[in-house]
Amino acid sequence: MRRMVIQRILIGFATLWVVSVLVFIGTSILPGDVAEIVLGQTATPETLAAYRAERGLDQTLVMQYVAWVGDMMSGDLGTSKAGGASISSLISGRLANTMFLAAIVAVISVPLSVMLGLLAAMYPGTWVDRTLTFGTLSLISVPEFFIATFMVLILAVKLHWLPAIAHISPDDSFLKMMRGLAMPLITLIIVVSAQMIRMTRAGILNVMNSPYIEMAILKGVPRGRIILRHAFYNAIGPIVNVIALNLAYLVSGVVIVETIFAYPGLAKLMIDGVQTRDLPLVQACGMIFCGTYVVLIILADVAAIMSNPRLRNPK
Amino acid sequence: MTDTSANPDTETSIYDELPDAPPKQKLRLSWMGKLGVTVVGFWLLMALLGPYIAPFHEADIIADDSFMPAFSQTEGEGKHWLGTDYIERDLMSRIMWGARTTIGISFSATLLAYFIGVTLGIAAAVAGGWIDMAFSRVNDAVLSLPSIMLGLLIVVALGTSIPILIGTAAVIYAASVFRIARALGQDIMVMDFVEAARARGEGLWWIITREVLPNAAMPLATDFGLRLVFVVLFISSLSFLGLGIQPPMADWGSMVRQNLDGLGYGSYAAVWPALAIASFTISINLIVDDISATSGGSLARKMI
Amino acid sequence: MTDFNKNLPTIANLSAMDRETVKTGISRGATRREVMGWLVAGGATIAAAGSIVATATSALAATPKKGGKLKFASDLHGPSDTFDPGLNTSTIDYTRGRSHYNGLVQINDDLTTRGELAEEYSSNADNSEWTFKLRQDVKFHDGTPMTADDVIYSMSRHYGEESTSTAKTLVADVEEWVKVDNYTVRAKMAGPNGDLPVILGTPQFKIIKDGTTDFQNPVGTGPFKLAEFQPGVRSIHVRNEDYWRDGPNVDEIEIFAITDKVARTSALLSGDIDLMQALDPKAIGQVESTDGVGIWSVDSGAYFGICCMTNQAPGNNPDFVKAMQYIQRREKIVKSILKGQGTVGNDQPINVAYGVDHCAELPQREHDLDKAKFHLQKSGVTAAELHVAEVAPGMTDICLLAQREAQKIGLDLQIKKVPNDGYWGAVWMKTPVNVVTWNMRPTANSMINLAFAPDAPWNDTLWADERIGKWLMESRAATDPALRHEIYCSMQALINEESGMVIPAHRNYLDAKSDKVEGIGRMPLGSLGGYEWPEFAWRTDV
Repeated sequence: MRRMVIQRILIGFATLWVVSVLVFIGTSILPGDVAEIVLGQTATPETLAAYRAERGLDQTLVMQYVAWVGDMMSGDLGTSKAGGASISSLISGRLANTMFLAAIVAVISVPLSVMLGLLAAMYPGTWVDRTLTFGTLSLISVPEFFIATFMVLILAVKLHWLPAIAHISPDDSFLKMMRGLAMPLITLIIVVSAQMIRMTRAGILNVMNSPYIEMAILKGVPRGRIILRHAFYNAIGPIVNVIALNLAYLVSGVVIVETIFAYPGLAKLMIDGVQTRDLPLVQACGMIFCGTYVVLIILADVAAIMSNPRLRNPK
Repeated sequence: MTDTSANPDTETSIYDELPDAPPKQKLRLSWMGKLGVTVVGFWLLMALLGPYIAPFHEADIIADDSFMPAFSQTEGEGKHWLGTDYIERDLMSRIMWGARTTIGISFSATLLAYFIGVTLGIAAAVAGGWIDMAFSRVNDAVLSLPSIMLGLLIVVALGTSIPILIGTAAVIYAASVFRIARALGQDIMVMDFVEAARARGEGLWWIITREVLPNAAMPLATDFGLRLVFVVLFISSLSFLGLGIQPPMADWGSMVRQNLDGLGYGSYAAVWPALAIASFTISINLIVDDISATSGGSLARKMI
Repeated sequence: MTDFNKNLPTIANLSAMDRETVKTGISRGATRREVMGWLVAGGATIAAAGSIVATATSALAATPKKGGKLKFASDLHGPSDTFDPGLNTSTIDYTRGRSHYNGLVQINDDLTTRGELAEEYSSNADNSEWTFKLRQDVKFHDGTPMTADDVIYSMSRHYGEESTSTAKTLVADVEEWVKVDNYTVRAKMAGPNGDLPVILGTPQFKIIKDGTTDFQNPVGTGPFKLAEFQPGVRSIHVRNEDYWRDGPNVDEIEIFAITDKVARTSALLSGDIDLMQALDPKAIGQVESTDGVGIWSVDSGAYFGICCMTNQAPGNNPDFVKAMQYIQRREKIVKSILKGQGTVGNDQPINVAYGVDHCAELPQREHDLDKAKFHLQKSGVTAAELHVAEVAPGMTDICLLAQREAQKIGLDLQIKKVPNDGYWGAVWMKTPVNVVTWNMRPTANSMINLAFAPDAPWNDTLWADERIGKWLMESRAATDPALRHEIYCSMQALINEESGMVIPAHRNYLDAKSDKVEGIGRMPLGSLGGYEWPEFAWRTDV
């Protein structure tokens, strides 16, 4: 077990390196560089050259990458090539925002979805299952910007119950924060829960088909007990995996929610970084996202192994 | 969009309890499955015929006003059954034209994703060693980055054309398929019937095509439905960033996005294409549910 | 002539009786919607009625009240947000700069100038030397007095090889900035230029402290001090109690962006923000029908352009350009895409917003498919690719409209939509046919100089005609108004006839605000009255 975790952490570092190379190449092949984008319409060849010289953009790409790796090793994230602010100052506040939002969504949506998924799996084919299936599919198949905008129009513009933008500051009272975050929370819970419900149901139904469950059924064990005592434990592996991937999505992929509710988070920051070709910024975000992903997947694997006695002692 | 695959990188898998040889069963549809087939059939028909029977061309800017309500009329042009969009085009015609674009792109991208993901995933599982290691790391890297960001990178670098959009979505979603296919492949490779085939001295190709693929097919099909939804939503989220399908081509996701302003003053122009997306993707998943229930959950059904 | 003078009416345009009705109604507490209802019933368009109500409310406004906070949402922000005036390119930067710094001169709503940090300024006889006498009572936020050294340093950042200033070209004809004494500076020009003060009124020429290199913690002289600045998140500005003028009216402003236009409008309608930049014309109806908010539309010379590059096919064929110009449905663009918040263009940049320099005599080019077809056939072109980025709201729609018309004359106009980021560097002035937008410039001379002079770095279609250069020089020296007008007319006629530029429409600056905010100007060079509002806006409800 320990060996496996250490091995996975080493593999994680390999993944981080691959991401840094991918992101570097990806951002470099985009048309235009940060100088052209910052100076925009009123750039001239001279001001472009001056800007590149000032921000160290006149070095070769390989040199820029090597310099970045060196800084990274010494814990320095560098400064933004676009605005000149330090990357750590750009990231710190948003990292907290992102983690805060993701944590609340996770705390609500994970138990909720597992419960609903179990419920659907207990009564497959009944109206409970059908309603849940139909409901989750309906929610999952509507673009999230549609859900978010629709909610803003009803709850903020028409009814004035909630603020249209999620501008919170650490000094706000808890209630004010929750009011501000209510709509982003609901949107994200809808987006991630639908999939977790479906995968929980699918995971359990799959296990239900295995010989030993069949045996239990034939022996006359009540179905609720079969699902909770046997099937669920065996399905935990794939379920935590889906949960881990959804949590990773909450950290890195919620750009639309961040944009619509003007909530300063990391996902939008990375998109902004790509759009300004601000390489150190994109790299830093990429590292955070990849790191989160690696950690979550390791945790999911550990949880899967812990829950399954057969995997604890592999043959 | 959320991007998940059901299988972790370890030996665990939902499918590791599969019986040695999956029973061949005749597909039987529930009433919901039948509803799904009807709706999907309708949209497929629309994808084929839509452009020929639509009252207007998708690019026609002909109406009197933008965001006209349903059943309104433009003098000398005709009736707008679903009203008009933000730039005075007939909404129903655009939904009919858009069926071809949206369904075409999402189907081809998902199929391509499956082709890439399954090929590489099985290859990694069968080959093992450093090939597996290299494939898996690149795959992890792709999975760990948000799909919308990857989409942005590829589309901005290569330009927005339909083949590039399909390729982009396919590459991004192939990563999830790869994980499933590789895990399945690994599971199946150690199963008795494969080992028996190996003992018989069958070649690798024979084992993959005759033993591994058929056994992995059903579980993979279950994933197909969700993946298709993600592709449709992925294309529409690109349009949120101002990328996506080239105008004036109609595509349901972009239509929702472009007409979103109308919601504010009571225009349903964004709702109709959203309904089109929902009806199509839900129906696909209802069919998939029935397929997987027939193949996998037969015993679970008996319990009811 | 078509109806070219589509300026929105103000309360002053109403008859005395109507004016009284509106004023009495408003002062008695009638809602905006009610008053607009009367006006629309009387035959006014919604946009016109909105404009009348807005100006009436302003006219009725009593003395500004002090206190309160303002929240302003712009349309774009990101890691490149900066307080370096030379690198300012976006509305959010300009607005922040206006809150934090001052310029030497300020531009009035009618595009005349008045001194700001310069108490007075004057030129020598032939406008080749400008002298600025600085105020002596101005202090930076850190307490140090502002002197000529600060001005010289600020100006020096727009010169030299190491300058990254986006406004470098605008002052290229100033050869030297000289410190005359501690409170006097002089600009020595290469030639006569009467426009220098108005150029110095543009946002990039804000005065910073001598030696400033760190723009994360900038020191300015402006009406607000910086309390918080997070690029791409927000900035908070608090009243500068030691301001050298009367001081701003509100205690605090918060500046940030909501990049999604629908969300931005919703935030205004729900009362979460007080001011918003860049209202989508489609949302005018929604804003006007909501109590408590209204549009703020300022007529301007800003324009949309489709650039047919004259150095390559098909734009090097004048007949192709003519065909592109004749297929434009200009009235339809103004009505349907801009929802009335703009004016038709005449394939040259100087519209009526430039006042006397606009050539009203020049015939308006109309939508004419026969002529378009004739020119297209003469050119032999059958297909072309048009690269479009949404450089201004409505640009893509204008191109879609052109595409349908092109089809009618047998031109296959392929639209290639490309993202905004990287557009100016990789597409504009490079691909055969592309799009551009220009903000209005303070004078017709600087507009033409910027984008049509033969040696202009941003000559969009690379159309070089020596006559334009010659006429620009002549117009600067011309003192006789009739002669000056004649020169300007010649330039506009030449551009209209021979450049590769298609200018189908001019757009207003269309923003929106809460009715509780007053004191927003109408200077037409930028959003919300040319970004001038931070110092002068005030709340009615404090």
